[in-house]
Amino acid sequence: MTAQDIPAASGSDAAIPAPGPDSAREVLTIKGLTKQFPGTLALDDVSFGVRQGEIHALLGENGAGKSTLIKCICGAYSATGGDVLIEGKPVQITSPADAGAAGIAVVHQHMNLVPTMSVAENLHLGEKLPRRAGLLNWSEVHRRARQVLDRVGVDIPTTALISELRPEQHAMISIARAVSAEARIIILDEPTNALLPHEVERLFDQMRVLTRKGHSFLYVSHRLSEVFQIADRATVLRDGRLSGTFDRSNMTHAGIVGAIVGRDGALAERRVRSHSTDGTLMRVQDLSGRRADGISFDLAAGEIVGIAGLPGSGADETMNLLFGRRRSTRGGIEIDGKPVRLRDPGDAIAAGIAYVPRNRLAEAVFHADSVRANVTLPSLAKYLREPILRLVHRGREDEAAREVTERMRVRMPGIEASIDDLSGGNQQKVVLGRWLSTGANIFLLNSPTAAVDVGAKKEIYDLIDELAREGKGIVFASTELEEYALVCDRVFVFAAGRVAGELRGEDVTEPNIMTLAAGGALAA
Amino acid sequence: MTATTSDNSADPQPRPSFDWITFLSRWGTLISLGLLIILFSIGRPEVFMTLRNMLNILNQVSILGMIAFGLTICLVVGLFDLSIGAMATFGGYFAARFLMELNVENGFAVVIVILVVLALAALIGMINGALIAYLGISAIVETLAMSFVATGIILGISGGRTVYATEIPEAFTIIGQGKIAGIPNPVLILLLLGFVLWVFLEHTQTGRNMYALGGNREASRLSGISFSRYALIAMAISGACAALGGLVAGANLGAGRPQGVGDVYLLNAFVAVFIGASTMKPGKFHILGTAVGVLLIGVINNGLSVMGVQTFWQYIVQGGILILALISASLNSVRRS
Repeated sequence: MTAQDIPAASGSDAAIPAPGPDSAREVLTIKGLTKQFPGTLALDDVSFGVRQGEIHALLGENGAGKSTLIKCICGAYSATGGDVLIEGKPVQITSPADAGAAGIAVVHQHMNLVPTMSVAENLHLGEKLPRRAGLLNWSEVHRRARQVLDRVGVDIPTTALISELRPEQHAMISIARAVSAEARIIILDEPTNALLPHEVERLFDQMRVLTRKGHSFLYVSHRLSEVFQIADRATVLRDGRLSGTFDRSNMTHAGIVGAIVGRDGALAERRVRSHSTDGTLMRVQDLSGRRADGISFDLAAGEIVGIAGLPGSGADETMNLLFGRRRSTRGGIEIDGKPVRLRDPGDAIAAGIAYVPRNRLAEAVFHADSVRANVTLPSLAKYLREPILRLVHRGREDEAAREVTERMRVRMPGIEASIDDLSGGNQQKVVLGRWLSTGANIFLLNSPTAAVDVGAKKEIYDLIDELAREGKGIVFASTELEEYALVCDRVFVFAAGRVAGELRGEDVTEPNIMTLAAGGALAA
Repeated sequence: MTATTSDNSADPQPRPSFDWITFLSRWGTLISLGLLIILFSIGRPEVFMTLRNMLNILNQVSILGMIAFGLTICLVVGLFDLSIGAMATFGGYFAARFLMELNVENGFAVVIVILVVLALAALIGMINGALIAYLGISAIVETLAMSFVATGIILGISGGRTVYATEIPEAFTIIGQGKIAGIPNPVLILLLLGFVLWVFLEHTQTGRNMYALGGNREASRLSGISFSRYALIAMAISGACAALGGLVAGANLGAGRPQGVGDVYLLNAFVAVFIGASTMKPGKFHILGTAVGVLLIGVINNGLSVMGVQTFWQYIVQGGILILALISASLNSVRRS
């Protein structure tokens, strides 16, 4: 597999000549950077360099050390060892202000913009605004903002409110702010997470314009196809160590994936399973919502069906429709042959559906509460003493909580420990485990391994496997495409609100999913 | 032998040192309550630390306590109820007014009237809950607006005239003035209410679902818990508890005043509940904590006046303790993040 095979690189970049980074000049050099946290070595002797005018991708799994590295570069953390060099000279960066003075700017995932304020005001955030006779000089504010936008070649009215703009325009405003602060090195922390493919395209075009003016980008992303599309070089971290630096000539898909995952990684093996495909558990017919249209499939008992697609493709919407998080506009669902109406998640739970949402902290964890309460909440009705006052039988509740946490192998001080004191992986096991006692037969798992460590990932895969063997039906979605190949029997790939294709068995591969998701067709 | 510092920092510490921050954030308010009691006992042993004065303190805070317990319920769900002051006035005035108009004498009829007034207050609370839940209005603004409406209705119906003791049956005033086995009735009502609401919050599914909603509303929805239903219940309880407090205040006073009854309690109730949320279970609103907060306010006010300290000190000490309580609670969360 080579870079040319990556479908999302739809040829448009071939027209633009390579920016030709000046290989002699490294603007940012990382030398032996080490960061020790109590108990963990987050960065271990990491060295690489970013050249002038290049787009340098920084890759790695969650927890590989990317965020720590960025925080060390921009002064949010102080490194335990090693050096950061700018133009070959060592610099001491102990605060964001130091980073700014050294010409480094970080554009975070959430862009740090104030949505209710205008573009001009956002471009001046934290700066002294021009005044005339003691009052703000608005025409000067807008004139300066216009200059900044012209420098990065963005054509957005300075009076527009941030909330009126498209996501990629947010990214460009943030980049413009960095450029106006004379940043030569711009660190982009997953800027494309909220973007649709054509928005990504426009963002990349403007990034290329800036590289020709001598700006350099350190670009963090999980989307490999984008990396092939835009990066001149790529550095991969794994478990806090440098796993490899690639340039255009040796940047292959297999090589980069190998560097990210590691040869010995538990992820690399395709899980061999056997399934019954008889005994239809759930039949989805022509299910449609605002962003998904005409979804039909059968889920057999013991089957794991994947729902894949880029953000906005309808994959997420389908998961939401199946759990009653959003109401369908057409079509329906039958469970065990009986039609079910899903007006809200309560209906879905009553119909025997369980749901693990993607964003654990925002959508699944009951903060400041005990592990026990987090496990038993959706099944509390089973442990009542009587139905009128609804007094809870604590003995039975505790027993259920212990049973689930033991089966899930949750590592914790005890069931009364605060959920917030558990690691991400153990929290996720609690979130998954809470559905074991509701009697659910259908499990909707939306990125169940998001932000958990490799060990917990394997345990979660094992559990999914176990549930399938018990005859549960599982619908699986993930932001990490390689997971579909590890987990699913078949995968529906979504594009533009519809099912673009179905993959089965050995055809469930990351490139195939990518191809379909990007709107391409598979070779016959 | 010398070891480099960088090597040492990597070693896991086998013996964890005593965690002062966690200790203080849990027990700080209880410790300060204890210290204040000791302080006042030493200062005026013959007056402060007597059974009579202890019952007196409880009696003084009983109305505040009833209102604060109700407020605890809606803060558990994550809703602010600023209408409790007006609802207290509502309860006190309308109980007296109905009793006067209906010329009720016997105890059974008085109980019926009281239940009707509490039901009306609960109904207003449910309207609050419905507006907040179904229209997505901010609870703070909606309950503030409702408190204006309620205040206006009371003033309009009363014409500003107080219902006096001679117009109210003794079966009613005894609620606020009588004693059973030497314990003032308001204290008994407070203890009973506190127990019921504690069982409700900690030991019923309804209460547990309320905590879940307050902890994470989206996660609750995804667990099948309907926010609107519990918002209605919580606001109804809060309204009824406030009306109960006002009603007991009216019975105690022997008058149904159409204004100024509840306003005193509004801010103190919030202070008590927030002090409570930094007690024993930091960051969590709970009945026992609220009880501690209410007691703290009562002890400060009583103790300082027993010591002969000027009134303004009560405000300063009370405010200072609230700030300390909030700091200790935030220390814990700052460290966690």
